[in-house]
Amino acid sequence: MPPKEGKPPRDMPATKTTPPTKTASVRKTVRVSSILSEDLVTIVSPAPEKIVLIESMVRGLCQKKGLGDPQPFLAKVFEREKKISTTLDTGLSLPHNPRTERESGAPAGSDPLSILSNIFASLAVIPGGMADPNEKDIPISVMFLFLSPDRSEFFPMHLQFLRTVAGLFKPALIAEIVKAATPAAVLETIRKAEK
Amino acid sequence: MARRPSRRVAEVVVLSTAMLTFISFWRAAAIVLCDMASTAWYIGGIAIQAVGPAAPWFILAVMLFSGCVLALYMEGSSMFVRGGVYKVVKEAMGGTLAKVSVSALMFDYVLTGAISSVSAGQYLAGLLNSIFPHLRIDWHLSPALFSCFFAVAAVLYFWRQNIIGIEESSEKALKIIWATAGMGVVILGFCAYTAATRGFTWPTTELSFSHESLGWLSGSDWPRRIGALGILIALGHAFLGMSGVETLAQVYREMEAPKLENLKRAAVIIFLFCFTLTVSVTFFAVSIIPEGEMPKYVDNLISGLAMHVAAPHWVNLVLQVMVVVVGAAILTGAVNTAIVGSNGVLNRMAEDGVMPDWFRHLHPRFGTTHRMINLVVALQVATIVLCRGDVYVLGEAYAFGLIWSLVFNAASIVLLRFKVRSGREWVVPLNVKVGAVQVPIGLSAIFLILTSVGLINLLTKKVATVFGLAFAAGFFLLFLLAERFNKGKGRGEHREKVNLCNEETVEDVLKHVEKPNRVLVAVRDPNGLHHLARALENLDDDTTQIVVLYCKIQHGMSFGGDIESLGPEEEHVFTRVVEAAEKAGKSVVPLMVLSNDPFYAIAQSAQAVGASEVVLGSSGRINIENQLERLAMTWGALQKADQAPVTFRVVQKGGAEMVAEL
Repeated sequence: MPPKEGKPPRDMPATKTTPPTKTASVRKTVRVSSILSEDLVTIVSPAPEKIVLIESMVRGLCQKKGLGDPQPFLAKVFEREKKISTTLDTGLSLPHNPRTERESGAPAGSDPLSILSNIFASLAVIPGGMADPNEKDIPISVMFLFLSPDRSEFFPMHLQFLRTVAGLFKPALIAEIVKAATPAAVLETIRKAEK
Repeated sequence: MARRPSRRVAEVVVLSTAMLTFISFWRAAAIVLCDMASTAWYIGGIAIQAVGPAAPWFILAVMLFSGCVLALYMEGSSMFVRGGVYKVVKEAMGGTLAKVSVSALMFDYVLTGAISSVSAGQYLAGLLNSIFPHLRIDWHLSPALFSCFFAVAAVLYFWRQNIIGIEESSEKALKIIWATAGMGVVILGFCAYTAATRGFTWPTTELSFSHESLGWLSGSDWPRRIGALGILIALGHAFLGMSGVETLAQVYREMEAPKLENLKRAAVIIFLFCFTLTVSVTFFAVSIIPEGEMPKYVDNLISGLAMHVAAPHWVNLVLQVMVVVVGAAILTGAVNTAIVGSNGVLNRMAEDGVMPDWFRHLHPRFGTTHRMINLVVALQVATIVLCRGDVYVLGEAYAFGLIWSLVFNAASIVLLRFKVRSGREWVVPLNVKVGAVQVPIGLSAIFLILTSVGLINLLTKKVATVFGLAFAAGFFLLFLLAERFNKGKGRGEHREKVNLCNEETVEDVLKHVEKPNRVLVAVRDPNGLHHLARALENLDDDTTQIVVLYCKIQHGMSFGGDIESLGPEEEHVFTRVVEAAEKAGKSVVPLMVLSNDPFYAIAQSAQAVGASEVVLGSSGRINIENQLERLAMTWGALQKADQAPVTFRVVQKGGAEMVAEL
C-alpha cells in the first residue's frame, strides 16, 4: 500500500515518545513530635564518630520500638549513607533507609523494612558538633535518624517526611535545641516549633 | 560565632539570544509573502512583455507549481529545523555544491532587496509627480534619484528592525500583508464587478515571444516548432513569482509550536494568498485594461486595474493611490524578507565554519547576529547606489539565483530520500514503493521541471545568465576564501553564541520571566536532554515559562566574581538547549548559576523563580529515588513558610518518569 499523502512512508519513521509512568503522590505528612518520645531523644557529648552514633541510634530504636534484630536496618541505613549525602548545610543529618528497587508488584519477602507499618525515628542532639566524613566542612549539630516502610506506595510519604524534617530543623531551631539541657526540653522546643 | 559554611548559589547569569524568540505562522507567512506576493506588482508586466497576452496562463501554472515548491521546502524543513538550501544541499551533495547553491541564492537575496525597494520608490515617485499638479505644487521628482534615496531609507529601516529582532520585523511584515490583503479584496471586488457588468474575456493561449525573451535562441525557430520548449521558455519568464520561497525554510527555525503544523498552515496561507492575488490580477488585467492602454501599465498592472475598473473617476484615483501606497509597502517589505532570509542562510554557513566566527557575534542588547545583517544591508545599499534607480538589468538577472537555488534544493531532497531514510515528519506526496525502495515520483517531477526551466533560462535570459554566473562566482569565491581563512581556527561542532547578563541574586531572574507559571528544568549533560524535550513537549507555552538551569559546580567557598564567558562544556549544553527549544518552537530562559551543591542550586533557583514544577533527567551516578530524596531535603531546608507546593519530575531516557508532589 502506498504511504498516505503527507505522512512519512513506513521506512521513514517520525519521532514518537514513550508514555510516562507515574508514581502516586500524597501531600500529607507526619508530625515529628508525634513520633518522638523522650526516650528516643539523646544529647550526645562528646560526639562519637558518625558511624558509631548511627549504630547506637538504630540499636536503641529497634530495642525501644520492638523492631527486632537491628542488623538489617543498620545495613540499609549504611547502604544509604554511601550514596548522596544526607547532611544539610543547616547542620542537620538525616540518616534513613533507602527505597529498595524492586520490580513493580514483586514480593518484599522477609525484609523487615517492607513490613514496617509507620515511620520510626530517633533524635540525637550534638551540642559540640560532629564531623561528617562526606561533608567535611559541615559540622552536624542534630542527627534525625528514621526508618520508613520500604514500599513503593509509601515513597511519596517518605519524601514528604524528608522535606518536613528538613524544613523544621532550620538554623534557628537547631540553635535552640543544642542549648536544651534535657531530652524533654528538646522535645518541647520541637513541639513549639511545629505548632 | 563562626559563620556556618553553606551550600549556596554564588553567581547567577541569564543567557540570552535572539535564537530563542519564536513567531506565529501568521508572521512567518507574512515575512515570506512580503517577497512572494509583491511580485504581483510586476510579474504580470514582465511575463506579458516576454510571452504576450498568453502570460496569465503561465503565471497560473507557475503559481500552481509554487504549491509543489512549498511542499519541497516543507519536506526539507521537516528534516532540518535549521534548514534551507545550504543545509539540505550540504547533507545531500557536500559542502562545495552547498556553497555554490548559496552563492546563487545570496545573489537573489541581495538583488531582491535592492530591486524591490527601488521599485517601491519609483511607484511613489510616479504617484507624487501625478499628485503635485493637483495640489498646485510645481515640483517634479526624478524617479531614479527619488527611488534611490527611498530605497536606501527603506533598507536602513528594515536593517534597524532586524537588528532589534525577528519579532519586531515580522510585526511590520504582518501589518503590510494585512494592508495588501485589504487592498486585494477591494481591487478584486471592483474587478469582479467590472467583469460582471462589462463581461470577461479569457486570455489567448497563443505564445508571442519578443526578441529579448528568447535570448540566445532568438535566431532559432525551435521555440515555435517545439511546443514544450516554448512552454518552458514561457514558464521561465514567469518564475519570478516564486521569489522569496527559500525564506520559508529560514523562518521555520523561528516558528513557534506546534512547529510542523504551523509550517503547513504558513505554506497554505502563502500559496492561497499568492495564487489568488497574482493570478487574479493578471487574468483581470488582460481582460479589463484596454489593449491600447496596456503599454502604459505593463510595469504596474494593478494600477492599470485601479484606473480601469467600473467606478467613478475619483474612485479610480483613490484606488490607484491605495495600490501605489500598498505596493510601496509590500515591496519594501520584500527588503525585510531578503534580510531575514539571507541572515538565516549566512547563519547556517557560519555555524558550519564557512563564515568567520566574527560574523556570529551577537548584538549586546538584542542578541541578533548584527554583523551578518550589516553585511547583507551593506551589499543591498551598494547595489542600490550602483544601479542608480535602473532596475532593468538587475531585475532580469535576479531570476538566476532563484531558479538555481531551487534546482539544487530539489536535487538534494530527492537524493536525501535515498541517503537518509528516517527523520522526516512530512514528505512530498506521490511515492511508489518498488521492492524495498520508495520511489519519490512527486519529488522527482518537481526536480525535473525546475531543472528544465533552469536550463532553458540559461539560454533565454542572457542578462540573468551572464550577471548571475558572475555574481554567484564572486560569492562562491568569497565563501571559499572565508572558509580557508577560517580553517585551523579550532572550530569543531557548532556552538551557539549567547549574551550573558549577570544578576545579583537568583530572584533577579524573575525580570526575564514574563509568564505566570514557571517550570524549572535542570540540565547537565548535553547528550542527556530528554527531560527538557519532554518538558517542552508538555508545556503550555502561553502560560508557562521554562527556566533551564545549568549549575556550574565549584568547590571551596572562595568562588565568586562575574562569569564573563561560557566554558566549552557550558557552550555545548546551551547549544543543545537552544536546539531543543527551537525544535519544539517554545522559548526558554537559560540560566547558569555557580554553586557548590547542585541540589541546593536547583531548590534555591526553583523557589526564587516560583517554579511549580522541577524537572530533572535521571543520572547515571545517582538513582532516581536518591535524587528525589536529596531534592526533598534541600527543598525543605530552603523553603519559606508560604512556599507553594512543587512537583518534582525525574525523567528517564526511555521516557518513564517518577513524579513526587511536595
